Amino acid sequence: MKVSYNWLKWYIPNAPSPKKLADVLTCHLAEVESVEKRPDSDVVFDIKILPNRAHDLLSHQGMAREIASLLDIKYVDPTPKYKIPKSHPTKLEIKIDTEKCRRYMGRIVKNVKVGPAPEWVVKHLESIGQRSINNIVDAANLAMFNCGQPIHAFDLNKVKGGIRVRDAEDNERITTLDTKELKLKSSNMVIADSKNILAIAGIKGGKIAEVDSNTKNIILECANFEPVSVRKTAQTLNIFTDARKRFENDLSPELAPYAMRELSALIAEMCSEAIFEDIVDTYPEKQKERKLSFSTARISSILGIKISDREIKNILKRYVFEYVYEKEIFTISVSPMRLDLVLEEDMAEEIARILGYDRIKGNIPKINFEPKANETYTKISWARNKLLSEGYSEVMTYAFADKGEVEVQNSASDKKFLRTNLSDGLKESIKLNHANLPLLGIDKVKVFEIGTVFTKKGEEIRVACGDKKNITEMTLNEFSKSASADAFAQPLGSSLRSATPSQKHTSSAFHMWSLFPFIARDIAVWVPEGVKSSQVYKVIKENTGKLVIKGPDLFDEFSKDGKKSYAFRLVFQSYNRTLTDTEVNEIMNKITEKIKEKGWQVR
Amino acid sequence: MKQKNNRNPSVASGKEHPLSILANQAYQAFADMGFEIATGPELESDWYNFYVLNFPKDHPALDMQDTFWIKEPPRLSGTPPKIGGEGNPPRLDKEGVGGGSVLRTHTTTVTTRAIEKAGKEGRLPAAFISVGKVFRNEATDITHEMQFFQIDGAIVGENISLADLKGVLTHFYKKMLGSDVEIEFRPSFFPFTEPSIEVFAKFKGKWLEMMGAGMLHPNVIRNIGLDPKKVQGFAFGGGLDRIAMIKWGIPDVRLFYQGDLRLNQIQ
Repeated sequence: MKVSYNWLKWYIPNAPSPKKLADVLTCHLAEVESVEKRPDSDVVFDIKILPNRAHDLLSHQGMAREIASLLDIKYVDPTPKYKIPKSHPTKLEIKIDTEKCRRYMGRIVKNVKVGPAPEWVVKHLESIGQRSINNIVDAANLAMFNCGQPIHAFDLNKVKGGIRVRDAEDNERITTLDTKELKLKSSNMVIADSKNILAIAGIKGGKIAEVDSNTKNIILECANFEPVSVRKTAQTLNIFTDARKRFENDLSPELAPYAMRELSALIAEMCSEAIFEDIVDTYPEKQKERKLSFSTARISSILGIKISDREIKNILKRYVFEYVYEKEIFTISVSPMRLDLVLEEDMAEEIARILGYDRIKGNIPKINFEPKANETYTKISWARNKLLSEGYSEVMTYAFADKGEVEVQNSASDKKFLRTNLSDGLKESIKLNHANLPLLGIDKVKVFEIGTVFTKKGEEIRVACGDKKNITEMTLNEFSKSASADAFAQPLGSSLRSATPSQKHTSSAFHMWSLFPFIARDIAVWVPEGVKSSQVYKVIKENTGKLVIKGPDLFDEFSKDGKKSYAFRLVFQSYNRTLTDTEVNEIMNKITEKIKEKGWQVR
Repeated sequence: MKQKNNRNPSVASGKEHPLSILANQAYQAFADMGFEIATGPELESDWYNFYVLNFPKDHPALDMQDTFWIKEPPRLSGTPPKIGGEGNPPRLDKEGVGGGSVLRTHTTTVTTRAIEKAGKEGRLPAAFISVGKVFRNEATDITHEMQFFQIDGAIVGENISLADLKGVLTHFYKKMLGSDVEIEFRPSFFPFTEPSIEVFAKFKGKWLEMMGAGMLHPNVIRNIGLDPKKVQGFAFGGGLDRIAMIKWGIPDVRLFYQGDLRLNQIQ
């Protein structure tokens, strides 16, 4: 979520510097993904609000309250400053015909003048990447980003009769504000009048009752919808909006009146002639007050640190939790917005993150547990070591395939099936590595894979190994039949140690290879008996230049008629281009010349 | 100087895949602390992959792990594919949820199954560690793969705490990345842990996100047949590929699954 620093400062004038704030948030609340300085001197944070705090933190006020409590700094409550416009009796009718709507507050405002929003509103919206549309729509958006409650405004004159919240009928249609025509299902909740669908509840408004430049009278909506329904509908219709994001994460219905008050004040400020009617509040079942009990001892036991009652009392005070402390048990009244606080464990998290996880010091527990050997793992290790010792190298190929017996429902790739064998992947691997033989410095590819395959009968672990000519594949159980029984009877530690013969791996580093083609060349040299291969190696090596990535490697030597023949292989490759035969030929010619200068003979 | 005549080798040893080397090192680090190795199925019931772990149905939390759901074969052609490994029968349709199967999105499935079994056998407290392949349905790039390896562990006992988690993970990352490594916890959210934390390791002067962890949520403890009033524990899980990339400087996660032997450089 985008959060403006200047906007936050309305509520927390003593906020620390943006950099300090970002560090504090990362350690105590949520990851700050970016901090962006804007040309107008504002700073905008992108904060990855965690799903359990999406109820109360997807807003500037929510963030400001949290920061004020976390840092124990002043929070300026804006509510007393809101203008309360004079209210008049209303004829607005609201009917909720679905259990998925928990609350619906509506308010008619007449005689509004739609036009550009004041500059400060435009600036605030722009700072968090929102486009200004008109004063009414901007007021609704501003209030949402300020307090977290999604809001909608309808053109009253386009609404036939009262507001009805109901389930759609199958195949009912709506044209949304962005002029997309959508077909609805009975599981979708909508806002309708006596004739038309006006909006997809909590997700997107419709074209029919859109507020435009001619609008004079409006209905304001601050409602609360059931999160699963909103999520499912938005998923099926593939719509992502800020309203959806908030509703699908579950909001408290207690938020609606705050938003209505703020919104009314904003509109009263923008349109001084506006006539406000009474708020109609349909709230079938009030959100229950919740208490949460916990003990300092239990919190300390979960966290593994000693926490004092005093520390906890201090936190409860900062976070404005009303509480009772009796017989070493704290019982707090949870604020309606904090839907995340239900269990003692939730309080453990709350206290730990506020105190800071750096309070926790590491300890390796000593538990009374006797580990047993894992048969599957032991068999895999045995099979791997056996194949390695026989000269096979290990590969891991993809579990996905073009064809198979088990299919995935949806895939980001074009391979929709799971492999039924390892051999196909191994064949590809052999082909690839065979082409790279000179680079690998081997003369034959021998590979194996130990992995899972999936057939109609279920999954099974197999072992496959082979070379260019032949691949054998069998189940891990079959493969490990040849192991002696005692190979699997070793206690855990020792079998592991045999699987990791040394710990020297830690020091080696990886060298990425070039993605350009290579060129391999052999050179064979006749030298008088007594000349060592190292002498020939040296001459070649000194003249190869920088393009050699492998070699010279001696691969053949023999004696004939008092002479000795040494054959070396060189592999050329560049990290940034494709080499040409011509340039490699030049290097080889140079080497040949140098060898001739020594009085040796190139075959 | 050079190995003579390597066109005629007596059997030279093959080269091990870097992830196997690392998995064994990881297992060793945990064996030092008394963990038992656990293994389990890659094709998993949605019960074990999600619902036993306190993922609510139709909750945004499910978006955190893009999942490969398995298309069931037509019912008329006989029995559906067997889900679950030997000795661990599937528990579909428990409490009215589930029935689908997925490619596991994490190996927390394995440690959870192992603790459930240990509980039934009266083997508590217990500590399990598991390295296994997991799957995510997402577009691939240098840091994302549809398949990768996860290392996952858990301890359940009477007084297991976040401090124990920190001790265990500190030992582990020191073994993996060197003794000068520090670790840090930051706030996070997972349905199956409360408190939930993100583990960061300081390697070569930089803080890197390594894995998710936390104290097992009481609902999870209950779902595996244990009493959260009597036992508590922690669980952690993160990518093994990522540790390998950091440790050895391997630039692209996709290199692990190409079958290209140039990858097998780690001796």
